[in-house]
Formats: sequence, C-alpha cells, structure tokens
Amino acid sequence: MSKFTATLEKELDARVATPAAPLVAIKQLSVEFPGSTETKQVLKGLSLSVQPGEIVGLVGESGAGKTTLARSILGVPPAPGRISGGEVVFEGRNILDLPEPELRKLRGRRLSVVVPNPRAELNPTATIGKQIAAMARIHLGVSRKEAMRMAFAMLRDVQIPDPERRMNAYPHELSGGMAQRVVIAMALICSPAFIISDDATSGLDVTVQAQILSLLERLAADNDSAMLFITRDIGITAHFCSRVAVLYAGEIMELAPREDLFLRPAHPYTLMLLAAFSHSPKLRDAWSVPETGRRETSAKGCSYAGRCPLAQEVCRERPPPLAEISPGHFARCHFPVVDR
Amino acid sequence: MRVLTYLAKRLAFVIPQLVGIILVSFLLVKSIPGDPAVLMLGPTATPDAIAGLRQSLGLDQPLYMQFFIYLKNLLHGDLGTSWQTTRPVLDDLIQRFPATLELVTLSLLLAIIVGVTLGVYAARRPNGWIARLSDAYGLSAGALPDFWFALVLIFVFYTVLHWAPAPLGRIDMVVIPPMPITGAYTIDALLAGDLEAFWSALSHLALPVLTLGLLNAGPILKMTQATMEKMLDSDFSRYEVLSGVPQRLVVRHALRNSLPSVVTIISVLYGYLIGGAVLVEIVFSWGGAGQYAVQGVLNSDIYPVLGFVLFSAIFSLIVYIVVDLIYVLLDPRISN
Repeated sequence: MSKFTATLEKELDARVATPAAPLVAIKQLSVEFPGSTETKQVLKGLSLSVQPGEIVGLVGESGAGKTTLARSILGVPPAPGRISGGEVVFEGRNILDLPEPELRKLRGRRLSVVVPNPRAELNPTATIGKQIAAMARIHLGVSRKEAMRMAFAMLRDVQIPDPERRMNAYPHELSGGMAQRVVIAMALICSPAFIISDDATSGLDVTVQAQILSLLERLAADNDSAMLFITRDIGITAHFCSRVAVLYAGEIMELAPREDLFLRPAHPYTLMLLAAFSHSPKLRDAWSVPETGRRETSAKGCSYAGRCPLAQEVCRERPPPLAEISPGHFARCHFPVVDR
Repeated sequence: MRVLTYLAKRLAFVIPQLVGIILVSFLLVKSIPGDPAVLMLGPTATPDAIAGLRQSLGLDQPLYMQFFIYLKNLLHGDLGTSWQTTRPVLDDLIQRFPATLELVTLSLLLAIIVGVTLGVYAARRPNGWIARLSDAYGLSAGALPDFWFALVLIFVFYTVLHWAPAPLGRIDMVVIPPMPITGAYTIDALLAGDLEAFWSALSHLALPVLTLGLLNAGPILKMTQATMEKMLDSDFSRYEVLSGVPQRLVVRHALRNSLPSVVTIISVLYGYLIGGAVLVEIVFSWGGAGQYAVQGVLNSDIYPVLGFVLFSAIFSLIVYIVVDLIYVLLDPRISN
C-alpha cells in the first residue's frame, strides 16, 4: 500500500477543485456514450478547477476524452454523448443547469473553444471576415460595420498574412495554420474569460505550431483570460502551463504544478508520457514497454492497470483514489513513483 | 468573366446534344407501327391515293434521307405539320408549350415551398412529429398516382364544395383569353390589365397545381431533409453551436449549404414534369404540350412528337445550364 493517506474521494475533490475562488470549477463531470451493446463512460467524474488568469494544461492520448471534456464544459458533448452527472461552476453558477438560451449566450462570449482541424469546422460557404464578425454581432450586439472592423483588427492580431485579402477568403482557400489563426480570432474576439484550447496545434508544422502557441499565450495574457490547454503533447505544456493534469481513459491520473510534474512525476503513466519524449534511451526503454497492451479498462480496478509496468494484484482489484502526495500534487495510483 | 467563358463552353455543346436527341427520338418514333398515310386517308382510301400521299410526305425515302430532310426543315424553322390539327407543329407548340410551362412552374414553386419547409423542420428534430409526418408524406406522395389524386381533388373541391371551377381547360369559357404575349394566361392577363381573366385563369390553375405541387413535394422534402440532417450534423454546424450561434442562424447556414442538392432535385423534377404532367393535363383538359405529344404518339402523327421532344430537350438543357451557373454562385469551392 502507498504510504499516503487516501482520504475520501469527495473530500479530495473538494481540495482539487477549490484552492481559492476558481474561475471555472469542473466537479465530478461524467459523460457517457450510449453504444449498441453497452454505454461507454468517457469521462468518469472528472474534477478540475482553473483560477482566473491561470493556464492549466491537460495532457492525454487519443481517446482519453480530451475533446469530450472540452465540449462538455460548454454543455455540448460530441454526439451521441450525454452528460450524466457533475457540474461546471463558472462565476458561481453551475452553467450546465442553465436554460439553453442562457448557456448559449455564454458560449463563445465568456467561455470559448479553439478547435483543431479548423478547416472542417468553418462554414464552407461564408467568408472568413463574415464568420469572425458574426461572433461579435451575435454576442456583443454591435453593428455590421463595427463587427467587420473588429474582425479585421482581430485578423491582424492573430498575425494572419495579408488580412485585407483574407477577410474575403473562403475556408478552403486557407492553409491549416491560417485556418487555426482564424479560429483563434473567432474564439477571442469577444474577450472571453475562459478559453479552452482543444488540441489546437495538432496537424500543424512544428514551426507554425510554435507560432500559434505563443500567439495563444500572448492573446490570453493580453485579455486576462484563463485557459484550459488540452494537448496530446506533454512537452508543450512545459512551456507555459502553471499546472498540468494528465488524463487517461476519462480520469485525471496526475495533477501537479508544472515543476512537480516534470521534475517529480509520480504516476507511471506520466512517466511513460515523459519517457516517450525523452532523449535518454535508458528512460525510454524502462518506461515505454506496454504501449501495445490492451486498453480495456476493468470496471473494478485502476483503468491503467492493463498497461502499467508496476501493476500488481491490488491494481486490478481496487481503483486507486486521487491522493495528494505533496501540496498541490495529486496522483491516482496505488504505487506512486517518488524520489526516495 | 469566369461565368461567361463557362457559358460559351456549355453552349458549344448544346447543338451536338440536340442533334443526338433528335436522332434518337426520330428513330424511336419511326419504329412505332402504323402508316400515317393510311391513318390520314381513312379506311376507304385507294392504294394509289395512299402511295401518292406517302410520296408527298417523303415516306417512300430511306430512313436516313427522311432524317436529313427533317433536319433541313428544322433549320428553316419548319417542324413539320400535324395532320390531326392540320397546323404547323411550331404554331401548335408555341400555343401549347407555355400552357404546360405555366402549370409546371407554378406546381414546382408550390412543391418547393412545401418540400423545403417540411424538410427543414423535419431535419431540425429527427424524432419529432413533423419528421414522422414527413416520412409518411414522402411515402404517400411517391405512391399516389397523380391522375387519381387530381380526380379526388376535383370531386372534393368542384363536385362537393363548388370552390373550384369545372376542370375544363385553362380559363372560363365565357371569359375571353388575354392577348398571347408570353402564352401564360395569368401573366398575359396581368400585362393586359384584365383582372377578370387573371382570376379565372388562376382559379383554373388551382387544382392541377395543387395536384402536381403536393405530389412532387415528396422528393424535394426527402432531399432537403436528408441533406439538412447531414449539414446540421456536420463539423461546422457543431462548431457554430459551440460558439453560441443561435439555432435559427445555425439552421439558416445549414440550409445555405444544403441548397446545391436541393437545386439538383428541383432541376430534375422540372425537366421531368414537362412531359410527366400529361395525365394531369388530360384530367383537366389542359390542352398542354404533353397532351399534344401523346395524341401524336397514339395517331402516328410523328411531327408533334418530335417537336415536343425538341422543345423539352431545349428546355431541359436551359434548365441544366442555369442550374450549373447556380452551383457556381452557391458554392465558392467550385471555381472552374
């Protein structure tokens, strides 16, 4: 057994979720996808909070539930998903309880999402300028002319080359990087308090990726916006997230301040992620073995047990709680790796 | 400029397309059994008279010669003469084609209004009652024969309720038809400022338009519903919802993206209805072009049939060219 006291899950969630007065507090959020044979739990009571102005990273592999989380925070999980429990408290209100018209007014206005692969996400028959301006017109109620002026200013802010011409361009005429900038412009034109970046740089060249990231960071800082930065690439989070959460199979496996996570990773899965990016062959060999292991998650034990090199009998029997192993550093593991 | 080049290219293909259509229909019509000369002269004609008539009609020539003679005459604006009406086919069609066109166009407008509206509402709530109603409607609209539906409407609205005028033509017999300008009575009556003729023509249009419009709304409804469901389920619609765009606007943008498919089905129906409305024309004694062509087929009167095919083909080609231009306007991704 671990030497850390495993307090009741609920109490811990309270600690995870509310260090001070968070801007956004996700509490026990559960999302399920009904299938033909069984209902799949994609988010299993996930809790996470973000302070005003804070950038929190969330790392996870494909299928961990990243996009489901990003969209469920705004009450619209990807089809056919359904929010089966939990709250998203924003500025003191559980927004999932709000009537649809009220929640709609928050989306894109106070909380907005930067989506990946934006060329498919943009309306193919409307110009870029119109689509950005539509955000301002809908949410801020400004005139058509003013909205177009704001859209143009925003296109300049996201450093799109030749913004005059892009205003009248259609989505299919943009490169992936440009489309990503357009989506950032749409997400930020209303100066939201909370930005969810959903794997916003996937599928971009590394150089473009770096530009987009620093752009996002700068714009968020200028706006005083908090951000949940969701990514597949744990290395990216090291650059500008103050805290990082590691998501696996719909659960947070580890949550820690950036330095703690990168210097003292505790969860075997985090170690595996870090090892995958490591230049040390020794570390890679030790921690990258069971990639091919089955992803099946037994209902009883730890969902990572099937792939974990440290798994023991108890891991398959009993789910580990999210335990606080040092102040602000949480790990969901029976045998957290610690410096001795 | 782009549109003009495109138009020129398309028009260059129209002439060979038309020659091909004429050739095929000429051969098909010629293969209908029955000798026009025998039919025209009646049972008491002498063999000499028949042979004489065959010669003067050019029927004694080989088939390809007959075809070239027909083509040559076409180039001089001569579509032949109908032996039934004893008038030039061109004159007959100029009188009758607008009657069909007026009927079919108004029916199609009704079908579009009904089909697109129901389709959009059905797609918004795939499990709602409008969607279920639409499914039932789409099925029955496809299954009901139009002439039967026309008779039901006549029974209800003429025989029982006396709301509609007698199904005998395009205008009341006591009303003088307006001077033909476009050939469509309603438009000509308005141009002439003759309100009495206008209302009479309109009331005669009501039942046949209702028949064709309601039945042909089925395919438009199905196409709109299917495409709208796909568009509302697409990434960009979901992203709009995620961005807080009101549902009304999300639906409008989805409809805008569905229009190419809807326009396609409308254009197919338009071309089809020119000839496909014939049973309804007969029920309402419409005197349209379809009716004229069927009379021709039944009586080995080939020039009305060929003239009708030619008119319909030209009309369909115009519709398709217009539709292609609409595609270019609707979808910015089509650039050439």
